[in-house]
Amino acid sequence: MDLVGIATGQILSSFSVFLFLTILLLAVARRISTAVLLFSLQSAVITAEVLATAFQEQLPEAYVVGVLVFVIKVVTIPRAFFLLADKLKTVRDVKASTTPTQSVFIAAAIIYLSYAAVHSYGQSMHVPDDALAAAVSLILTGAFLMVSRKKALMQMLGLLVLENGIFLAALITTFGMPLVIEIGVFFDILIGLLLMGIFTFRISDTFDHLDVSKLRRLRG
Amino acid sequence: MLLLLPLAIPIVGAGLILLFRNPRVATRAALLLGGMEIVALGALVWQVHVRGELQEGRYLRADGLSAFFLMGIAFISGLVLVYASGYLRHMGEGRFTSARWFYALVFMFLFTMISVCLAANLGLLWIMMEGTTLASALLVGFYNTEGAVEAGWKYLIVCTVGIAFALFGTIVLYLAAVKAGLSPDMALDWLSLMKAAPGGSIDPHLMKLAFVFIIVGYGTKIGFVPMHSWLPDAHTEAPTPISALLSAVLLNCAMYAVMRYDAVVSRAVGPVFPHSLLLIFGVLSMVVAGLLILVQRNLKRMMAYSSIEHMGIIAIGLGLGGPLGLFGALLHTFNHSVAKSLLFFSAGNIRHSLGTLRIDGINGMARSLPQTSAALLVGSLAIVGLPPFSLFISEFAILSEAFTQQRYLVATLFLIVLSVVFGGFTYYLFGMLCGDPARHPENTRLIPSEYIAMGIAALCLLLFGARIPYLFGRLLQEAMAVLR
Repeated sequence: MDLVGIATGQILSSFSVFLFLTILLLAVARRISTAVLLFSLQSAVITAEVLATAFQEQLPEAYVVGVLVFVIKVVTIPRAFFLLADKLKTVRDVKASTTPTQSVFIAAAIIYLSYAAVHSYGQSMHVPDDALAAAVSLILTGAFLMVSRKKALMQMLGLLVLENGIFLAALITTFGMPLVIEIGVFFDILIGLLLMGIFTFRISDTFDHLDVSKLRRLRG
Repeated sequence: MLLLLPLAIPIVGAGLILLFRNPRVATRAALLLGGMEIVALGALVWQVHVRGELQEGRYLRADGLSAFFLMGIAFISGLVLVYASGYLRHMGEGRFTSARWFYALVFMFLFTMISVCLAANLGLLWIMMEGTTLASALLVGFYNTEGAVEAGWKYLIVCTVGIAFALFGTIVLYLAAVKAGLSPDMALDWLSLMKAAPGGSIDPHLMKLAFVFIIVGYGTKIGFVPMHSWLPDAHTEAPTPISALLSAVLLNCAMYAVMRYDAVVSRAVGPVFPHSLLLIFGVLSMVVAGLLILVQRNLKRMMAYSSIEHMGIIAIGLGLGGPLGLFGALLHTFNHSVAKSLLFFSAGNIRHSLGTLRIDGINGMARSLPQTSAALLVGSLAIVGLPPFSLFISEFAILSEAFTQQRYLVATLFLIVLSVVFGGFTYYLFGMLCGDPARHPENTRLIPSEYIAMGIAALCLLLFGARIPYLFGRLLQEAMAVLR
């Protein structure tokens, strides 16, 4: 077996473990910059998974998707985040509403729940349980980050983690959607982040802070 | 070509309008482009009516259902553009709060909504649905006040997360279709899905799973309770023409997406499962929003909750199904749009003339603002479903379907909520109209643009209440035929 083949096999069999690792680390990350780096790392793992799938299933379109994921999620978005954090001159703490210990326990519970939830589906769809559980726990972790971190930037990051999970679910179950649709989805994410960036500027302009939990004027 | 033109005009127009720095010129350009867009959409709707179905490439298609919703978009956006041309005179000049940015974003917003209705592929439909959020988020936060920024942020985050769930639902549907043997390119094509659905080759569990995610995802945009939290804020804080667009067009577009999925899933796994979900969300939205209407202090907020209630009514109509239920639901999407635009237009006038939208801060409007009061009165009587107006017909159709199917619980709740809302609306309305005016605004007369927009809306409510025009009825029948 050639080297690429071995690498592919290794990636496909172990990427879920790396993803679970990033999930647990994201739960304890206390600085925004750490969380962004972890997201970048997570996206790199997913890029490897895309390329491995493309190689194994002989899907030329998937290589394009892999390159797109790398350029957008591993390079562009983290850079944009650092730029934004720099411009906003915000404090670096993520302002978590749970302690790191609690967060880790919640993340572990999420992983456990995901395994329990996908157990019946995995076998009927001929997809390894690990991969499906990784996708579901990414989605849940993203949602958890969004509700438990008060910084606007962390809410954006939570959304991206959630989106990573959905992307992974599409990849492992169907080897990805048609290329045109995939590109459209990426485009939407980019515009969405751009708009959220604009709004974070406006929030810090009008409120002098970036703490979303203090946006409480509109109620009822 | 006919399909590309209504898409090309708004997107090119959005770019062109940005060139006009003078607000007056920008307004005229917007009216001109809006007129062209309405003509293009009208031609498209007519061609669909004559030829049945139009296809452009692999990703664009217009059938009876698209045509019905496109007609609504054309009508309401025309009213909104006319109303906005007068409304913007109150707007200050900021960096992004200028007339040209306003119109450019409005045309981008229209572009995404028209694409939703023209998408043949459910993946493209998702992309454009997310596009509607992106295009309108800046419009919601347009005034850049604390409230507007907060509402915009909430809108963007809540709807993006909701839509992410819809993406997951789309992927599950794609998975089910590919497993059933459709080619990956056609697996999200609505027509091929409709053809493949009755064969029984599609995994029913996956279809149900997909529909749950879809109704939660697109339901967030429709404003189903409990995913409605963004809706009252966005409607209250957005500039009034945008509130009208959100309530009267955007919510319908999201409902349109749910209709498409409902048709496919009903064919594949039988109507019981998707229709029960629609009924649950519909009744829940109607009851919760109907009660929340009573405790609102802000006029636009009250109208926003009324939109949630009416989306609930439409969902109930869809959930009941049957000829009258579907007829009522489709007719109600249009009727509600017209009535809600009229109400938001009046609210915009009140805001400008009296400087407030607090219900308890408004008195004696009938004397100080007679024309706006008349519009508000017509709109309110129509929205609560009183007989001479068109909403009565659609609500009555849905109600009689409920009785025909002997769903007495749904019918009873429906009637209770309608009467509670009727009580609440009339109570607040007479509080605002009667009494001695505390404030005497200088300009009490409507300007021509407001006159035209509100007049057409009010006339349409009356006309459709008396008799549904022949052509409209035909289009409605064709839309129903697509879903069967």
